[in-house]
Amino acid sequence: MTMLEMLKNTENTEARILEAVEKAHEAHEKLNAVVTFIDPAEQIANLDQYKEGAMAGIPIALKDNVNTKGIRTTASSRILDNYVPIYDATIVKKLREAGAVFIAKTSMDELAMGGTNLTAATGPVLNPYDTNCISGGSSGGSAALVAAGVVPMAIGTDTGDSIRKPASFCNIVGFKPTYGRISRYGIIPYSSSLDHVGTFTRTVKDAALSLEVLAGRDDKDMTSSNRPVENYLAMTKGEVAGKKVAVIKNIVDAIDNQETLACLNNVVEGLKAKGAVVDYVEMDQQLLRAVLPTYFLIANCEATANHSNLDGIRFGNRKEADSSEEIMMKTRTEGLGSQARKRFVIGSYGLFAENQERFFRQAQRVRRLICEDVDRVLNEYDVFIAPASAKGATKLNEPAMDQMSDAYLIVENHMALGNFTGYPSITVPMGMTGGMPIGVNLTGRAFEEGELLNIAQAIEDVMNKVGE
Amino acid sequence: MNYDVVIGIEIHCELKTKTKMFSGAPTSFGMKANTCVNEIDLGHPGTMPAVNKQAVRYAIMACTALNMSVDTLVKFDRKNYYYTDLPKGFQITQQFHPIGSEGYLDIETEAGTKRIGIERLHMEEDTAKQFHLDALTLVDYNRAGTPLVEIVSKPDMTSGKEAAAYVSKLRETLFYLGVSDVKMEEGSMRCDVNISLKPAGSPVYGTKVEIKNLNSISNVQKAVDYEIERQSKIYDEGGKIAQETRRFDEATQTTVTMRLKEGSVDYKYFPEPNIFPIQLDPQWVKGIQENLPELPDQRRARYMNEYGLGSYDANVLISNKELSDFYEEVCKVAKDGKIAANWCISELSGALSKRNETLSTMKLTAAHLGALINMILDKEISGKQAKEVFEDVLEGKDPKEVAAAKGMKQVSDTSAILALINQVLDENPQSIEDFKNGKSRAVGFLVGQVMKKSKGQANPAMTNQLLNEELKKR
Repeated sequence: MTMLEMLKNTENTEARILEAVEKAHEAHEKLNAVVTFIDPAEQIANLDQYKEGAMAGIPIALKDNVNTKGIRTTASSRILDNYVPIYDATIVKKLREAGAVFIAKTSMDELAMGGTNLTAATGPVLNPYDTNCISGGSSGGSAALVAAGVVPMAIGTDTGDSIRKPASFCNIVGFKPTYGRISRYGIIPYSSSLDHVGTFTRTVKDAALSLEVLAGRDDKDMTSSNRPVENYLAMTKGEVAGKKVAVIKNIVDAIDNQETLACLNNVVEGLKAKGAVVDYVEMDQQLLRAVLPTYFLIANCEATANHSNLDGIRFGNRKEADSSEEIMMKTRTEGLGSQARKRFVIGSYGLFAENQERFFRQAQRVRRLICEDVDRVLNEYDVFIAPASAKGATKLNEPAMDQMSDAYLIVENHMALGNFTGYPSITVPMGMTGGMPIGVNLTGRAFEEGELLNIAQAIEDVMNKVGE
Repeated sequence: MNYDVVIGIEIHCELKTKTKMFSGAPTSFGMKANTCVNEIDLGHPGTMPAVNKQAVRYAIMACTALNMSVDTLVKFDRKNYYYTDLPKGFQITQQFHPIGSEGYLDIETEAGTKRIGIERLHMEEDTAKQFHLDALTLVDYNRAGTPLVEIVSKPDMTSGKEAAAYVSKLRETLFYLGVSDVKMEEGSMRCDVNISLKPAGSPVYGTKVEIKNLNSISNVQKAVDYEIERQSKIYDEGGKIAQETRRFDEATQTTVTMRLKEGSVDYKYFPEPNIFPIQLDPQWVKGIQENLPELPDQRRARYMNEYGLGSYDANVLISNKELSDFYEEVCKVAKDGKIAANWCISELSGALSKRNETLSTMKLTAAHLGALINMILDKEISGKQAKEVFEDVLEGKDPKEVAAAKGMKQVSDTSAILALINQVLDENPQSIEDFKNGKSRAVGFLVGQVMKKSKGQANPAMTNQLLNEELKKR
């Protein structure tokens, strides 16, 4: 059931929640998607208090980097294995007040550093469509639980494509709104200037409804926006007559998977049939190739500072030693996985006084150029679209791609454009390739979530028609 | 050999805000350890900073009083290092764009007024406080996140006296602004001095030594004077100055090595991504700048112009803001500011120190002291009587009532005094004789006799004058 369907049926809310918990345990056996199960008894007892809420009685899951007061929150890192937050993230308060019921904290790449969910302290999350395949990351556990039908909505975070890629791999809708639309207060960060909070749902309308609950200014997050929250659900109509859609040609050109291209073609023809104007538009190839290295520097420079608090002194999995300096060193060395340590070293290197100008600052300048190129497209088009990936979820032990190829640099990393610009971006299912799901990604203008969701709804409608 | 002394001073000053620089937790001094903290101060995962507007207001006030230009685009940066007193593993500061730049303070020196340049003023957050015991280190996070301004002077000072005068003037200015407690002994104002020597007239600077954490103005002077002597001696003997951080040792009154500076630490400064640059409303800034409280220099000038005080008296009052504020209240009643100043500086200050009290703990009111002063001016009581009345005024009593209860009044009626004088003269023929023989001491004796007869109520000046006239008649 989708969230909207559940909301229509307000009877047996408690049974529905308990059923979700049971399903979560079953799914976890198969998928390894959960870090901590939350006993919903107390929340069930309080259901009446929030029965007028927009998400009353809806069981949901939270990525394990969302702080929950009194409930263990690890960000899938050994260093936070015993961490029990002393405060709630702002979105946790909002969701609770809307009546949502939290049933699980979901697995992720350690500290959200990764795109496979292979680096989680609890091990890989498996894809519900094929347990030999990854769920994608970093929000893999949330994606898997929604795809497995456990919960209609789960919270994820997205720094490069950490919601939108796993959504593509798991055949669900993955949505991150504009930077500043949802408060980040209480979300264990990866990279402050690129991090976004967002949702996994099975439908675009559920994404719209979730945004109405999550969005809004939070004085505790100075980067959050004062813009009024809109009635996104009402704007999600699937009416695209006269809307202008750009397909990024560079990305399509670098894909050789004919199944994926055929899926995209379906989307394009479907939109056209509904009256949209669809053009193939070229972006600067050099800038697109620069997305990944630019992302890697900015994200990890910020991350190395963001995670300097993980020292074992005030919280976390402390490793005892003779001096406080040794405690910090031992705690970090033993508590952090190799991917995290590697990224901290790179970030630290990029920030050194002698390197900062040619690495971190240069990356920020390139980010600006890339954003300007995106703006060039969005000045003419309401959204731009491209396949979220060239292929479905990879096998758990699949060898890495050639990291210097356009097939990798451009096709598998372009969704970071939505993080560089902060613009709203959504992935919607568009079919299957090699027996695995594949999604199409749409990115729109800042704070025009309503328009983005509207066009995404049109694609969902096209797909539903194909399904019939 | 003669050396030029080059001194620059860095001051860290805690701002007197209710809450912390980037969190809503209360600021505190002397509270139970780790009670004034929240998740932000402890650097818990997922926390984010929210800038304290009052701290920005105070920083703007300080910049304005220090004649600095204010950057209305406020930006913050991260200073990265690992230390147990630094919860986040970085300190949020203003490395690249300090809110204030290019100002000055004028100090008084023996050679006249000297202008000391101020390079920058920036906002940042304080660290936690550590207590190193034998077996363990305790950390109190109450101080973590307290708003600070760091004020960096130009290397414009050349002696311990000038350094002390600068710190003293800065301290007084910030105190009058009301932006900080400036208590050096409690650490709400902390002072680091950079000092180097070079051969007189040389364009090349010598090796810089930093003396950290000076906790009083007199120690600033002592430490600098000692350091000048120490460095001169090393240079005289052909030695080299080590680039190091030293501290002032109270016991030996010398500076001692804390640590050598082997290359500078790379703090990997970069802009704080969680605080977008904040464009201050120019009207808001203007409103703050145009409504500064009266600064010490302005008050000093006013005392000298309005009340006719000399610079010494004015300085004594201004150096103690509580007394100075009280003095102003006294002057609202007292008819003569100069006499009011005398009373505040000598009688009142004396009484306070004798009783080991402060103005805030005393029952005394400014209005009563003003009234007492007017009673002297109006010749209702004598100065001597006033001192007696003052003892009760200190206890919160009305001077008029005290004088009446004691039956005090000053006799200034000429005929009444004359009657007493003639009575005394009749009783003391020998003194008249002595006076005629040129023994002027006799007058004093006779005045004393008149005062005694009047029970101290005769106006002494009138008595003296009338007595002289009567003596000449005899």
